[in-house]
This record gives sequence, structure tokens and C-alpha cells, in this order.
Amino acid sequence: MVALSVKMYVVENILGKKHQTMASPAAVNCSGAARRILLLPTTTTRPATRSFPGRLSAVTSRPITTLPSTPRTKSKSTPKTQPSTTPPPQPLQTRRTYHSTTHPPPPSPFTQAETTLLTTALTSHIPTHGFTLPSLTLAARDLSLLDISPSFLGPSPVARLIHFHLYTTRTTLPSLASQHSDLLSGLSVSEKIELLTWLRLKQNEPIIQHWQQALAVMAQPFQVPVAVRELAMLADEIYYLAGDKSVDPSWYTKRAALSGIYAAAELFMTTDKSEGFQETRRFLRRRLQEAEELGGAVRSVGEWVGFTASAGVNVLRSKGVRI
Amino acid sequence: MASPRRLLRTARQLTSTKTPLLTSQFPRHVSTTPSPPSPSPSPPLPPKNLKPLTESQREMLSSFLRVNQAGELAATLIYTAQTPPILACEPHLRPLMKHMYDQEADHLRVFNSLIAKHRVRPTALYPLWSVLATGLGWSTAVMGKEAAMACTEAVETEIGGHYNTQIRELLKMVSEWEAEGYDVGEEFTELISTLRRIRDEELEHLDHAVEHDAQKAEPHWLLTGVIRAGCRGAIWVSERV
Repeated sequence: MVALSVKMYVVENILGKKHQTMASPAAVNCSGAARRILLLPTTTTRPATRSFPGRLSAVTSRPITTLPSTPRTKSKSTPKTQPSTTPPPQPLQTRRTYHSTTHPPPPSPFTQAETTLLTTALTSHIPTHGFTLPSLTLAARDLSLLDISPSFLGPSPVARLIHFHLYTTRTTLPSLASQHSDLLSGLSVSEKIELLTWLRLKQNEPIIQHWQQALAVMAQPFQVPVAVRELAMLADEIYYLAGDKSVDPSWYTKRAALSGIYAAAELFMTTDKSEGFQETRRFLRRRLQEAEELGGAVRSVGEWVGFTASAGVNVLRSKGVRI
Repeated sequence: MASPRRLLRTARQLTSTKTPLLTSQFPRHVSTTPSPPSPSPSPPLPPKNLKPLTESQREMLSSFLRVNQAGELAATLIYTAQTPPILACEPHLRPLMKHMYDQEADHLRVFNSLIAKHRVRPTALYPLWSVLATGLGWSTAVMGKEAAMACTEAVETEIGGHYNTQIRELLKMVSEWEAEGYDVGEEFTELISTLRRIRDEELEHLDHAVEHDAQKAEPHWLLTGVIRAGCRGAIWVSERV
């Protein structure tokens, strides 16, 4: 499953001392340079199409202090790169900007190496160990990486793991929607939104027993911006997939309402013990129904005010007032 | 600050050569003028080699579409508010006002669909621009036909220059792609030709306004100065918020 070849360069003058004294995987908080050294993609010939052929080069679980300072790889087929070439820094681009219909999509905010590690953790270890550091460490062991590897995920590897879950579930929503295109076809926009939100909630099913813990992590002050941005992008994704074309201020109110409803339903789902989470679905439907009723009431009031104002102006004009 | 007349003349020169827009014909130097057709026709390649848009390019395109939608919204509202007071004293202007309004409404429709298609966030100050544009249109129309035309002149002068800046930026981006050996898809050739068409129509409105005594407004310098400054401020804000 691993379509990634990773070289480990452990340069003694940067990491050697830390490795010797390392007690736990999270003990070392890597700097940017060290992070690049820990996991370096082997093919960097064309940055535009960065691919990772071959297998994961085996970095064995020998004592770390004996690791040589020269690049080591078992996969002979992978071309050798200069150790000086480092991957371009990946910006945390999760903002909603111009979406091109023809050009290739922008790169993922997660590097290929991060994606491999996080995917392994998510599929193999989260259901048993939850969103914790041991899950990441076990995933690193599965990939024959050092136990320290999760620390290249940044200051909070667990939050990064949760962000990865949010990101992948959101970006797989379009393919999920096309799988269910027979269900979606013929529905009104609000029905589509209900179904898409439900499909997204169902994606939490395998990890639902750990989701409260993850929500608690993402509610920490440093993680709130990431969580809120992901939530906003999810609401935008759902409205886009539902085919909503509004480009007036309702663009904001619709997305804000759906974000709130989704967050509430997600929380409800963590305590839902009903068969197939049917209670969650009913909860979701009730909330969406309420939002629609409220939106309809506001719209009606706005229409009435607009009509009355223009009628008043027209009456004055008919009386000869020059306005 | 170019005078409207001079800007008009430039616009006429820019649009005098009607050539089909082909990516291979974009001049290497950055200009908003379509170049004369090159002798070698470029056959369209089925597998297009398109470069991924960078973060800054996507930011730029987002802000372009957002500000254009806000601008066209304001323009339609200005004309909507201007029409009844002007027609009350100058009924013969009905066809002109209708023509200008229809074109602006079409521009707004174009940008609304582009914003929805490219998933760009509309401006958050939508209600504010609606109120301000209606107020501007109505107050200038109440001041008289000349003031209303001066308002059109000021707004369209700013908008014409603004569209030219955007076209210049897009042509720069596209010519960089071509220089690097990438293809330029229809998405951007169409966007550029749409912007060119809309810019020409806006400058046509400027022409109409000047023909209908915009310069006779009193005090012309103050009216146009204030409105143009307001336009620039609104453009600056809409690009960001």
C-alpha cells in the first residue's frame, strides 16, 4: 500500500546527540531542517509532478546511534538525489480561493510522506488506539520508520492527525457523492444538502468512539483556527456539491447555518447508540428544517419591507414629488 | 489621472482591431491590445499541459472576480436608482438608460455565474455596496441630468482603468505560462475576452455620458473627484473583503 520511497538521513551533527538521549518518540521536537532530514522524498526531479516510485525504503529498527551519516536505501531502482534538494515548504493552504475547472488542483497541504504515515495511522490504529500519539508511533513502526518520525508532523502530531482526518473526509466527499449519484439525482437542493451532510457524518462511523476525544483536541485554542476553517470549507463543499448557486449575502448565512448544524449533529452522533445512527439523522433533519423555516421567515420579512418601500416611493412619485 | 476623453480615445484605438483571441497570439510584452493574427495557426492539442495555479494566482483571481461582481452590482443599482428621476424630467433618455442598464445587468449575470462556477466568496460588504450605490445613483439623479451623467463618467472612467489593470495582469500570467511551455486553456482565454468586451462596453457608457453633457455639471471637478475617489476606495476594499 505504500507508494512512497523515503530516505532517512540522520546527520549526526544535527540529530545524533538527541537520538542518543531520546527517551520517547515525542521527546524530540524537530526543527524545520531536522524535519526535512528525517523524511526526504527520493524523486525531486520535477517538482510539478512529484511522484514517489518504488517501495518504502526500509529503515530498520536498529539502534539509532549506529545509523551512518550517509544516505541509505534498500530500493536500488530509485534514482539517487542530491541530499541538498529539499522539498518546497508546503503552505497550509486551506483557504477557499479561486477554483479552476480545468487546471490541476493545488497540492495537498500534507506532504506525501505525511500522507502515508497519517493514512496508515488512520486506517490501522485509530479504531483501537484512538487519536493518540501511540497510534502514530505504531503507524511509523508499520512503515519501518523510526519511532521518532511522528514528531516531523509539527508541534502537535495528534492535532495534525485529526486535521488529516477532517481533510481527507472532506476531499473524498465529491467521489462519495458521485457514488451516490442515483440517490442524489432528482432531489431538491435542500434534500441534497441533507443527504450530503449525512454521508459526511457516516464517514465518522469507524472512529466514532474516539471522536469526542478528537473534538476536545480540536477545541484547544491553538487548534481552533484549523478546525473552524475545515468546518467552513466542509459547508462550502456541501453547498457546492448540492449545486447551490447563490452569490449574495445568503452565501454567508447558508454556510454559517450549515456549519453550526453539522457541528451539533457531529456531537450528537458521538453519544448516539441507535441502530445505524438513525437518531442522528432525525436530529439533522429537524435542525435543517428549522434553519429553512427561519430563513424563509427572514426572506418573507425582507420581501415585505422591500415591496412596501418601493410602493411608498411610487405613490410619492405619482403625487408629483420629484424623487 | 487621464482625462476621460483621452482614455476614450485610447480605448477606441485598443478596440479598433477586432481579432479572434488565440493564446498563441498573445504578445510577449504585456499589453491589453490584441495583437494582429500570426500567420501560423496553432492547432488545439487535445491533452492540454496546464500549469497548476499558485496560491497567489488563485488569490488574485478570487479578488478580481469578487471586485468585479461587486462593481457590476453597484453599477446596476446606480442605473436603477438614476432612471426614474432622470426620466421624469428628460423622457427622451429612456432608450439610453435602458441600454446602459441592460448591459450592466448582463455584466452582473456574467460575474455571478463566474463566481458560482469558480467557487469564489462574494464580497461580505454586499449590503453596504447596495445601499451606497443606490444612494449615489439617486442623489446624483435628483441633482439633475448633468450630475447623473458626471457620476456615470466618473464611475466608468475608474472602472475602465480597473478592467485594463486586470487584463494586463492576466495577460502577464498567461504569457508567463507560454514562456514556460505550458498551454493556456479556454478558461483563461475566455475570461480575458469577457473582460475585454465588458471593459469596452463600460467605456462606451463613458462616451455616452460625455455626449450627454456630463462635463456641464457644476461643479464637475468636485463631483467626479469625489466619486472617483469613492470608487477607488470601494475597489480596494472589495478586493480584500
